[in-house]
Amino acid sequence: MTESPTHIEFIIGEEKRLSDIVGKLEIEPLLRSALKLGINRVALLDEDERVLVALGESIVEQQGMCSEIRLPILVEGEPKGTLLLASAGQIPGLEAIARLLQDSLQLTVTNNLKRMLTTEVHTSIVQESYEQLVSTNHRLMESERRYRTLARDLEIKVKERTAELQQAYQRMLQQEKLAAVGQLAAGMAHEINTPLGFIHSNLNSFAKYQNRMAEMLGLYRLLLAKETSPETIKQQTEQRWKELKLDFLLEDSGVLLGQSLEGADRIATIVAQLKGFAHLDGMEQQSMDLQHELKQLLAGLAPQLPPNSRITTDLQPLPPLVCRVPLLLQAFANILDNAIKSRSEGLELTVYARQESDLILVAISDNGCGIPAENLPHIFEPFFTTRPVGSGSGMGLTVAREAIIGAGGSIEVESLAGQGTTCRVTLPHG
Amino acid sequence: MIEFDEAQKRLVLKLVYYGPALSGKTTNLLCLHDTLQQDGRGELMMLDTTEDRTIYFDLLPFFYVAPSGLKIKLKVYTVPGQVRHDATRKAVLQRADGVVFIADSQISQQSINAESFANLEQNLSLVGLDLEKLPLVIQFNKRDLSELVTEEELRTTWEPTGLPVLMASALQGWGVLETFQAAVEGLFDSLDQKLQLLERFQVDRDDFVATLTKAKKL
Repeated sequence: MTESPTHIEFIIGEEKRLSDIVGKLEIEPLLRSALKLGINRVALLDEDERVLVALGESIVEQQGMCSEIRLPILVEGEPKGTLLLASAGQIPGLEAIARLLQDSLQLTVTNNLKRMLTTEVHTSIVQESYEQLVSTNHRLMESERRYRTLARDLEIKVKERTAELQQAYQRMLQQEKLAAVGQLAAGMAHEINTPLGFIHSNLNSFAKYQNRMAEMLGLYRLLLAKETSPETIKQQTEQRWKELKLDFLLEDSGVLLGQSLEGADRIATIVAQLKGFAHLDGMEQQSMDLQHELKQLLAGLAPQLPPNSRITTDLQPLPPLVCRVPLLLQAFANILDNAIKSRSEGLELTVYARQESDLILVAISDNGCGIPAENLPHIFEPFFTTRPVGSGSGMGLTVAREAIIGAGGSIEVESLAGQGTTCRVTLPHG
Repeated sequence: MIEFDEAQKRLVLKLVYYGPALSGKTTNLLCLHDTLQQDGRGELMMLDTTEDRTIYFDLLPFFYVAPSGLKIKLKVYTVPGQVRHDATRKAVLQRADGVVFIADSQISQQSINAESFANLEQNLSLVGLDLEKLPLVIQFNKRDLSELVTEEELRTTWEPTGLPVLMASALQGWGVLETFQAAVEGLFDSLDQKLQLLERFQVDRDDFVATLTKAKKL
């Protein structure tokens, strides 16, 4: 207790005057009873012989007939007052009446004193308790104020952190998209590189063939200019034709060009698939043919399939779906990616798509590792992944769900560990 | 000091019997009241009690008149020992001139004694009194019971403090007067230092002590 409120108004033991302890009104009835017994004058004097209460008539000095009795009244054992009785004549039992009155007065004084002391102690304590309460209250208010400030600051901090988290989450989503694009690009690069390789090699061969053909044509031209006889020309050219293996060249050129054209077509197909991912920032609503896009996606993912995979599809014609096309494509790409990675070989992937009244239903099933029951509630949580560090961001299904919900649809995942997983996507159209 | 009025030749002193609950403070006062002769003392005033426990205080006044006419009134108070009555203890301690600490001799009560003594120290400082300068007498009461801390042990502990330590059984009536006498002597010495009682008011130490501790004639 630092600023302890020890201020006490009453000092226990402080001396009291008789007039502090008893009052006139309290004493009068007692004294009056003495008058009734024939006593002329009754009075109570204080410690300075001053009259506190006096009743009856003053007795005029008479001829020695007057009798007077003075008795002390004690306060804490100390005489503090005097009871005075005076009578004009001899009254039988005056002494006894006086003693009786003294005892009564003494009792009143003592009881009053006790009551006063009790009250004083009590008041002191109440006052002290009150002061303590006031100071406790003050301290409580102070601490309440501190907590209020703290709470307000906390709210601001929470808001700041939430905003930071949201930003980080957005960045993660963006990175997830970029990662998917990167993955796709790597696959695509490989796919493009193969046809590009044989186109290049074919064209190289064709360039050599073309040289020989040009040489042959040059020989014809030369011989014709010399006006050599057709016989001579035939003889000379026939030999050269064989030397230059032009029969083979002409035949092979057709094959080379045919192959190259085919390669170019393959590249064109791949580029067409890429287009879907090319404008990730173009988020305006567009009409999409989901059946077509699913075919494209499956074709694009083909190189990533594990060995001995079998894909079963039942993609029925679907009504046009108006949505943010790149987002929804990303969603299906992520779901398919999970399915593909669910098994290291012998994958059986089944993709169904059909229309039911005003809903489009897509189901993607695999016979892969499945999701343990305890993980099932978490699969849509950001960053939740069971793949080794570095190989999964834990954002795939999060992104998928967001895109599907964004398009007004829903996604459900059923899975049995070790048996496979089925994702059902429902999307509204129109 | 409650009051010192040189013009009125009046000095009112306060001696407080302190200690844990049920250590025998009121019994000490009752015993003094019964033992001492009526001349020098007033009546014992006991304020309301509950179940034999003091909840306010008891008061026993003593009187002495010096040859110089100086009237000395010594008011002896007890405090309520129960922890919850701390505010009352503090109120009673205000302006005390001396303290008698009544301790319970039973082994089981020693930590309670220590607690109460610490409480005395704290309350004295709260009412602005210095334990070092205040005459203090220690009484180990209830020597009539068993399982007590031995007197030897108590003396070894307390002797170094230089405080008067007395053994007593207030219930059997011994050691009480000796305790009171030690307190009165301490009180006189401390007052004499402050007020030069002997020099200025011809208050003789022996006479003062003898008057206040005069036993009834048997």
